[in-house]
Amino acid sequence: MDNSKKYLAAFAESLDVDEKVLNDDLAYEGIPEWDSIGHMGIIAALEEAFDIMMETDDILNLSTFAKGKEILSSNYEIEF
Amino acid sequence: MLLKGKNAVITGCLKGIGRSTLDAFSKNGANVWACCQEKTDEFESHITQLQNDNGVWIKPLYFDFLDESELKTAVKQIHRDKLAIDALINIAGITKDSLFQMVSMSDMKRIFEVNLFAQILFSQYITKMMLKNRSGSIVFISSISGLDGNIGQLSYSSSKAAIVGAIKTLSAELGPQGIRVNAVAPGVIDTEMTKGVSGGSLEKLIGSSALKKIGHPSEIANANLFLASDLASYITGQIIRVDGGIR
Repeated sequence: MDNSKKYLAAFAESLDVDEKVLNDDLAYEGIPEWDSIGHMGIIAALEEAFDIMMETDDILNLSTFAKGKEILSSNYEIEF
Repeated sequence: MLLKGKNAVITGCLKGIGRSTLDAFSKNGANVWACCQEKTDEFESHITQLQNDNGVWIKPLYFDFLDESELKTAVKQIHRDKLAIDALINIAGITKDSLFQMVSMSDMKRIFEVNLFAQILFSQYITKMMLKNRSGSIVFISSISGLDGNIGQLSYSSSKAAIVGAIKTLSAELGPQGIRVNAVAPGVIDTEMTKGVSGGSLEKLIGSSALKKIGHPSEIANANLFLASDLASYITGQIIRVDGGIR
């Protein structure tokens, strides 16, 4: 599975939403499922999927679906 | 065996309550990442003995809690093991006693750094690993000093009172994720830390207890063991006094 698909799957599975709901503009609290608890689920899923340990600042900065890819790409050497 | 096959992270394992908790967890079948500030031959021999006696693994992690980069490296080592974490027991702590007007802000900040901030940071990282399994038990060590106050212990008692607020909030936030968060509040326990307390306040506290005796670190370890185990599956957000009945 390529990284984009892994990223999408991590979000969809952790939030328990259909992948069609997810797009680059989707923001934290943009859907009921992406609340603070959902956010921690996303982090856990991303860490598991990409075998990384995210820094607290990055967790706080992951404010949109697109921003998450940007963070993984710039700080964890994950290419999309 | 209350923790057979479970995996726990324990901080402050070198001596005192941490050492007793490591012993109790190992004897009850838990595998442990044992966190300490310094490596000693005696400690290494001790964990080898515990592993042989109890059929568990113990992975020592030596790092300075005040060094964020060392702390992160230790967490990464745990993360790399890719194992479920069932319990986190935050025991590492320090004290330096002074009467209010003599308290130095640098000492007070250092005590808060170790007793609160480092533990919260460490717990943030470990909790993320617990969230993957949506289960776990976190135990902090507070103190009766944090609940009742104690002359000469402004910094220590304030830091331990902060733990009470922390566990109340964390238990509410993490409960829906299946993670329990509790604290043990020891009374006067026979450790090196209490040996350094002067002025007769400890004797007074012991005298005011129902049991009229000093506690042993194993008596706190047993409370930690209980809270980490499934026997405490419906207990969260609580502070358990283990103090011989101090009034």
